[in-house]
Amino acid sequence: MTNLGFIVAAYGVILGGLGLYVAYLLRRLGIARGASRGLGGDVDEAP
Amino acid sequence: MNDLRRGLSVALAIARKDAISELRGRQAAGSTIFFAALVLLLFGFALGPDSQRLALAAPGLLWLAIVFGGLLTMARLHQLEADDGAFEQLALYPVDRRAIYAGKALAGAAAMLVLGGLLLPVVAILYGVPIGGAWLPLLGAVVLGAIGFAAVGTAYAGLTIRMRAREVMLPLLMLPIVAPLLLAAVKATVASLGGDPLGELGSWLQLLVAFDVIMLVVGAGTYGFLLED
Amino acid sequence: MKTRVLGFVAVAAVIGASINGLFVVPADMNQGDAQRIMYVHVASAWIAYASFGVTALAGLGYLVWRDLRLDALALAGAEVGVIFTAFAIWGGMMWGRPVWGVYWQWEDPRLTTTALLLALYIGYLLLRRLTDDPARRAARAAVVGLIAAVDIPIVHFSVIWWRGLHQTPTFGDPSKVLNPSAPLQFVLALLGMLSAFTLVWIYLLIRRYQLARLDWRLEDAARRGRVAAAHGSAMGAASVEEPAR
Repeated sequence: MTNLGFIVAAYGVILGGLGLYVAYLLRRLGIARGASRGLGGDVDEAP
Repeated sequence: MNDLRRGLSVALAIARKDAISELRGRQAAGSTIFFAALVLLLFGFALGPDSQRLALAAPGLLWLAIVFGGLLTMARLHQLEADDGAFEQLALYPVDRRAIYAGKALAGAAAMLVLGGLLLPVVAILYGVPIGGAWLPLLGAVVLGAIGFAAVGTAYAGLTIRMRAREVMLPLLMLPIVAPLLLAAVKATVASLGGDPLGELGSWLQLLVAFDVIMLVVGAGTYGFLLED
Repeated sequence: MKTRVLGFVAVAAVIGASINGLFVVPADMNQGDAQRIMYVHVASAWIAYASFGVTALAGLGYLVWRDLRLDALALAGAEVGVIFTAFAIWGGMMWGRPVWGVYWQWEDPRLTTTALLLALYIGYLLLRRLTDDPARRAARAAVVGLIAAVDIPIVHFSVIWWRGLHQTPTFGDPSKVLNPSAPLQFVLALLGMLSAFTLVWIYLLIRRYQLARLDWRLEDAARRGRVAAAHGSAMGAASVEEPAR
């Protein structure tokens, strides 16, 4: 493969970045759900 | 029809009030114009001393100075109301929000027009740009640019003036939005000064008109929501 | 539950589309293997613009109906969108260096427009961050989102005209892959990646929306001093000292 570095950099950052963002979101969601467990009330979204 | 007349009189009243406070404003307006001229001077030091290069860069530098001065101008035009708590009072009046917006935008456009008009001779002198017969299309570009800048600036100044970090928020929001305005105005200026060899002046002026119209419509439509703050 | 399934399907789709783009599809005759970057670059860009559309429309919806759920959607669109915008620019730069020889050039309208999109997104998110009152934040954000959204088409046309007289046939056109004359495999690879990214996008929007709604409930409760009681009953929760937004 020519220009291998750029292709790896492109896919790596983009796919890796997506993965990181998903992990970040899921972690924060977990924390938030834990903290709000005692609040009760309606939850308007599916898990 | 009556509503329109009332709206117009409200708008003009607001514009007049702003114009008067500008003229009385303890040199605040003058300071801004001086600041913009200083920016032009400093560009000379940054990009000079080759006068050919400066002459080429002149249209862009002119409009950058107008933009920077414009940011200060728009902020200043809303500062008074913000300080006095007048925004909250304005919101209580049973008057069409669009009229309030129109008045502020009109004042803003007038202030920008003065700014731009005064900077033209400064550019002509500092960068050796002969304006001559091009003054009419140049003025047209300045008028259209002023209107467009004031159209967005009024909405964003109203929005940011009561915020934390307001000094940076107005420029931060404005600069990306006015990028096409800047682009078109500079191109129109270049075309005017160069005798419009490619016949593109009309297109750029049209783009400016489109920008102005769109931003005025959106600004007028959303200003009311900002007052309700 | 359905969202989780969507998540797994999206991951599979992205992996599949990436394998296709990287190993299955042949290299381009002119651009070589660098062409493969186009699939993630173009897909990211389309999602970035679509996400901004969501933000603008949701903001408009908020102004009309005053439903904070719409504001949550707007926020989700913006945060997810800024990420895809950054990806699009990154992809563009990674493609540009091998093909154009430069990381950046001003004559490509899409690159410059996307850079402005990034600036607009960041401004939007900063504005939100600096406003505490939920209703005020939603209204301000909606106005900014709308103005930015109508600006984008203007920018698009202006930079195209800007370039207009500088026809530079030496610069490769990144959208060649969308040409009617492009090989079918390229088009399919792009569409496949776009579909996969769309699934990811929707998944991220849902999750970010949920997070926003939860955060605001916590914010709201904190304002009323109830979090202390709730915290006591939350088992083994990680530290929640930040009233997350």
